[in-house]
Amino acid sequence: MSYLSQYDYYENGGNAPEDSNWGSYQYVSLKDIVVNYQLMYSGNHSLVNNEERYKILFHAKRAIQELNYDAFKEIKVLQLNVSEDLRFILPSDYVNWVRISYFQDGVIRPMVENIQVNSAKAYLQANDNRILFDQDGKALQPEYSPLDFSRITGQKPSIYLNSLSPYDGLMGYEYEGCWYFDFAVGARFGLNTETANANPTFRIDKKSGVINFDSTMANNSCILEYVSDGMEGGDDTQVTVNKLFEDYVYAYISYQILNGKLGVQEYVVNRARKAKSALLRNAKIRLSNIHPGRLLMNLRGRDKWIK
Amino acid sequence: MINDIRNTVLAVLNKNNYGYISPQDFNLYAQQAQMDLFEDYFYAYNYQINKENQRTSGTGYADIKKGYVEVIDFFSVTSNLSQNGGATDRFFLPSLATTGSDFYLINKIFIGGTELERVEQGKILLLNSSPLTAPSTMFPAYTTQGNIATIYPSLTVAPTVTCQYIRYPKPPKWTYVDLGNNSEPVFDQTQPDYQDFELFPDDATDLTMKILQYAGVSIREASVVQYAGAAEATENNSEK
Repeated sequence: MSYLSQYDYYENGGNAPEDSNWGSYQYVSLKDIVVNYQLMYSGNHSLVNNEERYKILFHAKRAIQELNYDAFKEIKVLQLNVSEDLRFILPSDYVNWVRISYFQDGVIRPMVENIQVNSAKAYLQANDNRILFDQDGKALQPEYSPLDFSRITGQKPSIYLNSLSPYDGLMGYEYEGCWYFDFAVGARFGLNTETANANPTFRIDKKSGVINFDSTMANNSCILEYVSDGMEGGDDTQVTVNKLFEDYVYAYISYQILNGKLGVQEYVVNRARKAKSALLRNAKIRLSNIHPGRLLMNLRGRDKWIK
Repeated sequence: MINDIRNTVLAVLNKNNYGYISPQDFNLYAQQAQMDLFEDYFYAYNYQINKENQRTSGTGYADIKKGYVEVIDFFSVTSNLSQNGGATDRFFLPSLATTGSDFYLINKIFIGGTELERVEQGKILLLNSSPLTAPSTMFPAYTTQGNIATIYPSLTVAPTVTCQYIRYPKPPKWTYVDLGNNSEPVFDQTQPDYQDFELFPDDATDLTMKILQYAGVSIREASVVQYAGAAEATENNSEK
């Protein structure tokens, strides 16, 4: 792609949307990657020769996917309201989550992942507990399992310190630093730090593609920070890679092609592998933006007195 | 060039009254010889690339490959492809009827500035099945079947599809005026069907030797075949 004029960059040449080119100089497009690779790293006098473009494209995309999972640090954020069914459907380009928060009173409150299962599949059962089937031999399923039903209707107690806790709002007495409640079987000693959180909790059901919350999350706004694979929903024109990783992508493609090719000497494959790894390392260091100004700010904190 | 070559061929053949070939036979042998040499360009080009990879080839005036590229590019044609009926994804491959010349090989097909990748029939279904490899408007592909190219992905409006290909050289034709009375036909390049060789002048010797070989077989003169074959082999070796 040719260089943009200042007018094209700032105002998209007078077209809408105006912001479509902002920040674009950080990135190189997938098309440029593939074309550059074909020109510079593939050909009659190169290690890589007689390879179809779709193979180069495939490996380029795979490299970009791998980079998106961790190295890029490009976190996508989606905010949605959680309805009464306490579900948050994962975004269409979701691969993994980074942080889930709920947004209340203008404050972002990070939530913890529930250590207990909060959703289950169930089958309808007869009085003698035998599973019921339909005429096709499939087990009949209720809309909600008892576990889901109790969670959605707010009947499921929580081990966390939110309003679903059995101890929430109840009176107890304190003796030598420990709280005791008369009605509970056994005593409750101290605080389990793992569950000492008053915010709503969640659990991700990956196969179902939803985040299940406890009932305190109903009608609250949820902010999901997640990583995608950078494929932009299959729109190749939108797929880009940070320029800091451009050389790595070329090296990755070379390595993958040489590694899978018959008759390539092992030392050639090893050389390609080392080049790929070194370039990834360098790019990660560059992207981490370690520079004196930031180090200085961190070092200033070392003299702070901690009370 | 064609008249010079014919004169040389006849001079060699008529030595000691070995034989004579008619203009019709000469034209047939000339076409055959030209095709032989034309195909050899591609093998020679590949041979030069291998030599370059072995570092036994030079640059500048010693860059033999460059010469082959120039010769092959002489036969390069860039032409728009015609749509096949109402289908927006099917186009006729170059042919005498559609683009004015048959193709020897298709170098590339492109839409605007985007090149389409040729994909084997056995691969296209697999390619389309994977989201990472499925042809897109940025990375389109095509397959061929018969004289039809099918482009992927298909668009609702047929795009302008352009093809750059290497055409076959035109069949050479030595045209003449028949003076009758059993006299020799006289060369006449003003005839409408006249066609000179399209190969470059430095191939004149090779063309002569090739035609001599065919003519030698035709008149059953083994020594002519042997002589022409040996001369051609010697020249080929000296060019390597």
